[in-house]
Amino acid sequence: MKKIAYFDTSHEMPLEIIMAAGFTPYKIMGDVHKSNDPADKYLSSFFCPAARSWLTEALAHSKEWEGIVFAQGCNNTNRHYDIWKVHVETPFLHWFSCPILDSDAAKKYYKVELQRLISSLEKKFDVKITPEKIREAIGKSNEIKKKLQQLSALRSQKDIPNRDYLAAIIKSLTAPVHEILSWLDSEIKAWNARPAFPSGKKRFLLTGSDITYIEWMDTLEDCGIRIVRDDLAVGERFFATWIPDGNDPLDSLIEYYTNIPKPATRPTIQKRLDFLYKAIGETKVDGILSQNIKFCEPYAYDSVPVNNALKARGYKVIHLERDFSPADDQQLTNRLMAFVEMMDGGNNG
Amino acid sequence: MDKANNSNNNSGRVKLKTLPHSQDLKWPMLWWIAMEKLYRTLPWKKTAWTCAAFPIEMMWIYDIFPDHPENMATVAAARKQSQRLIEHAEGMGFSRDLCSYCKTNIGAYDTKIKKTLGGISKPDIVVCTNAICDTHWKWFQIMADKMNVPFFMFDIPKWVSGTDEKTLEGNIDYVVNQFYDLMVFIEKHTGKKMSEKRLYKVLGKSMELSDLWREIFEHRKSVPSPYSGAETSAAFFPLVVLPGVQVGIDFFRKVLADIKNLTAKGEGTMPKGMEKFRVMWEGIPFWYRMRFMYDLAQYGAVIAFEPYTYSFAPPKKKCSTMEETLRDVAKLIMDTPYAYNLERRIENFEKWVDEYKIDGVILHENMSCRPSSAGMVDLAEAIRKDKGIPVLILQCDMNDPRAYSEGQIKTRIEGFIELMEANKK
Repeated sequence: MKKIAYFDTSHEMPLEIIMAAGFTPYKIMGDVHKSNDPADKYLSSFFCPAARSWLTEALAHSKEWEGIVFAQGCNNTNRHYDIWKVHVETPFLHWFSCPILDSDAAKKYYKVELQRLISSLEKKFDVKITPEKIREAIGKSNEIKKKLQQLSALRSQKDIPNRDYLAAIIKSLTAPVHEILSWLDSEIKAWNARPAFPSGKKRFLLTGSDITYIEWMDTLEDCGIRIVRDDLAVGERFFATWIPDGNDPLDSLIEYYTNIPKPATRPTIQKRLDFLYKAIGETKVDGILSQNIKFCEPYAYDSVPVNNALKARGYKVIHLERDFSPADDQQLTNRLMAFVEMMDGGNNG
Repeated sequence: MDKANNSNNNSGRVKLKTLPHSQDLKWPMLWWIAMEKLYRTLPWKKTAWTCAAFPIEMMWIYDIFPDHPENMATVAAARKQSQRLIEHAEGMGFSRDLCSYCKTNIGAYDTKIKKTLGGISKPDIVVCTNAICDTHWKWFQIMADKMNVPFFMFDIPKWVSGTDEKTLEGNIDYVVNQFYDLMVFIEKHTGKKMSEKRLYKVLGKSMELSDLWREIFEHRKSVPSPYSGAETSAAFFPLVVLPGVQVGIDFFRKVLADIKNLTAKGEGTMPKGMEKFRVMWEGIPFWYRMRFMYDLAQYGAVIAFEPYTYSFAPPKKKCSTMEETLRDVAKLIMDTPYAYNLERRIENFEKWVDEYKIDGVILHENMSCRPSSAGMVDLAEAIRKDKGIPVLILQCDMNDPRAYSEGQIKTRIEGFIELMEANKK
């Protein structure tokens, strides 16, 4: 099935519309192993390195995609749309202006923007995106979310390396839907058969910028950290809630996308905290790892009040800033190892 | 070779001539300071924190004093306080990569620094938009939470390259609907109600202020330049916090009269015959080192136009109904030149290059303002190609002196001057 790629700094893109148009939604996540030189011709090095990597990917691969949709995300990367419009070769580039609020006015506007996206896709690709097709896509989306929830829950019970979880999420965000569903079934079976949670590992909640490469998850593994909960878009935020069943599938999508757990690019900080409190209320963790990728402003802003609030509740929180690189960062490893060692000595919420 | 005239010898420095009434800027400033005292003293008066691209007029309509953290951050920088305040905020955990205005404000509030040094007091409400950046609302929300003050934000859709009229109308509808949410918010938290009579009165004065500034800019097209960016960067203060009140209008009228007088005599801000290069400056100035603008004069360069201060004075429409008014204001919020998309930026910059007879453009790639820095490479390339003039991208920071490297900036400016010189031959 042909792909429509999407630029999304969180989980804002209504994938179900792309699916209903007959395409595979493909989340652009860049490639940490490739140099950002192609993108750096147009963007300075103080811009988000992940977003620069997405541009690098698009410059190299856009011809493999039928088109690209930008979902409004963080304001630092919103203006990248204009740069992509000039430099990325694609027959279809659409700006999806999803509101950042969840008020009645925002929901009304969301519908206008959904209808504009539908109309653009229909016109460009000569397809009809009917309510039935959207309902069918919603059904498949919910199936994926339910299966990911099952997988995710196994993290705190079984021996599931961090990289396996991330690989499952990445596949779910990039592969054709029919492939994902059968693959997730086999993974659930395989993960259930794995040994129990290893005694030498610490259970952590991971929060902050999205992580899109397994090497960083391996670093955590090497430090004795197992991520059992998270609030990432390439993570739980993608499947934490289901799309409700309603008379109008567009209303269902609006309800879903305006109510999913908030990223740092959406108000309010309290709503972000509410999800984190819920997660650590459901799953006992030893510590919280807060991190932001270099130059990721929304999470860097949030990290101060969010971490202070978590610490005030007695949780052990470590915050660090990381580069967008698969290379070993020994300083970072040392900090994490020291934090884990220190943990054995104290109270944890 | 040192291209500056006696740059190491102050006795021979080229001095920019300021307008006779430039010192009158103190009146709007003093009025603003006095008003804040008054609004904080009288129990029925209210105060708010507001930001750039927020329709400040709304606050004056509601009789709410609009305090302005960004404005106070520039005061802190000009008074050489910003670095220590930024470092204080970094000590609280805020990253070095975050906006220096924000960190100056956080530091100023936390250290309770004096007003004259850039200090700021707790308001009754905090209101902002995301029209320019996420920073505005992230910062304001963090501070509203910290101060335990009600918070409101406008979500402003982005006017990206290629936006058609129909989409734009949908975007305006969304912003207009949020105006009604704002009215509910203000009434709930301050008890104040919208007065349509006051709305037209305040917006009428705001329009007059904008028109005057734009007329001033018309005269800036004259050669030699009568009014440089060195002066406008301070003089535009009434547009930041006083749109809708009389005191700014009175000041701008005097400025306009001075400029008309200068241009009638064929005089400019540079000493006679010294203006060699007319420069466009894009971005926020280095508030901690305003001397930079005056230093350019040593090379015969004058900042003849800057989109930044021009941004604050859009042409406003006289409207006769509330709905029409709100639609106009909503469009203006999205249409600020500081937040233009790349296509409109190129189109307008090239128009301004012609109108202001610009010899070269400096683009401040501001590490504290990533949204405005996005697309600068393409903007520079387009201007070079279409207009055949040099463009310098200068990476620095508006409020954090640690980003300013004297030697490196001097070297780059001298290279830029040489390019303009060669280009004029």
